[in-house]
Amino acid sequence: MNPIQSVQLPIMPSSVNAAQPAKGNEPFKNLLLEALDHVNNMQKDADAAVEQLATGQDVNPAEVLTSIQKADMTFRMMLQIRNKLVQAYQEIKDIRI
Amino acid sequence: MITALDISTSALVAQRVRLNAISSNIANMSTLRNENGEMEPYKARYPIFKVDDKIRTEHGAAGVKVERIETEDVEPQYKYQPNHPLAIKEGDKKGYVAYPNINMTREFVDALEATRAYEANIGVMEVSKNLGQQTLRILA
Amino acid sequence: MFPTIFDQSTVPVLEQMIGFAQARHEVLAGNIANFDTPGYKVRDLSVDAFQSRLQEAIEARNEQHMEVSPGLLKKEPVQEMQKVRETFKNIEFHDGSDISIEHQVTELTKNQFMHNLAISIMTSQFQLLQTAISERV
Repeated sequence: MNPIQSVQLPIMPSSVNAAQPAKGNEPFKNLLLEALDHVNNMQKDADAAVEQLATGQDVNPAEVLTSIQKADMTFRMMLQIRNKLVQAYQEIKDIRI
Repeated sequence: MITALDISTSALVAQRVRLNAISSNIANMSTLRNENGEMEPYKARYPIFKVDDKIRTEHGAAGVKVERIETEDVEPQYKYQPNHPLAIKEGDKKGYVAYPNINMTREFVDALEATRAYEANIGVMEVSKNLGQQTLRILA
Repeated sequence: MFPTIFDQSTVPVLEQMIGFAQARHEVLAGNIANFDTPGYKVRDLSVDAFQSRLQEAIEARNEQHMEVSPGLLKKEPVQEMQKVRETFKNIEFHDGSDISIEHQVTELTKNQFMHNLAISIMTSQFQLLQTAISERV
């Protein structure tokens, strides 16, 4: 019979969002922040286009509407990604050890 | 597309001027005296159109405007009426009265053409307005 | 916090645009109604004056984020936007000889297009804010 030996738990990663090497060795956190910046910039571009249209500058109404719609879609997609992340976090939080 | 509406409007205005000239010609086809009361038979008027530089897009589309109204210079029609109060008294046309020489057929054909052009421009305006409304559907 | 929540968006700009379009619509409709009235002078609201006033108000609002040096008078952006409403009353009288009814109808149509455009954009902005508040895409 073997003596009882302490069991070594495998080393868990310190957090879910720790540096997981993805393509280009970019941490996931940076990708997320970049994406948020991108969405914000699209919103700002759309706002600038609307202001140009309102003050009568030489801008095509179709282009203004398209940039507004694109900003909207990326915002909604980012919102959905955020919802999924929060949901994932809550599921992990509820894991009982 | 907003400029397209302006271009069509300039065409509508120009065709209306043309139609006015034509109705003036037909109304005055027997007029013997001019505005000052002098003895001068009526001569047909017609507008001259020109490209309007003030209404244009940067890709070269431009509107139309009436440059001026020309008076046609044709010989009047002479009818032998020696007892008419306005008959010519002297010269080789003695006893003749000078009537306006207006070609009714040509005036009517021009009027038809002006009407069709007017309707065509209104059709183009409908299409432009439709484009505008459809553009609003980009916003879902 | 709540009253100023819309100040940085395009909503105040669009509000002014819609108000101007409605005021101008009434002036143009009056022109068409009075077309045969003897001695009637065609009137219009100046689009250029409105747009340059709006441009000033937009710049005043954007300046709010810049460094303000002491001694520089700061314009209240909300007041600036409200002052754009003054251009709604600048009625111009035209000389009348070269203005035709086709012209008036075309101006009415163009005005209508800008009005509907502004309303559509404003609606989509409010819908986006609603989405963000309710967190339901």
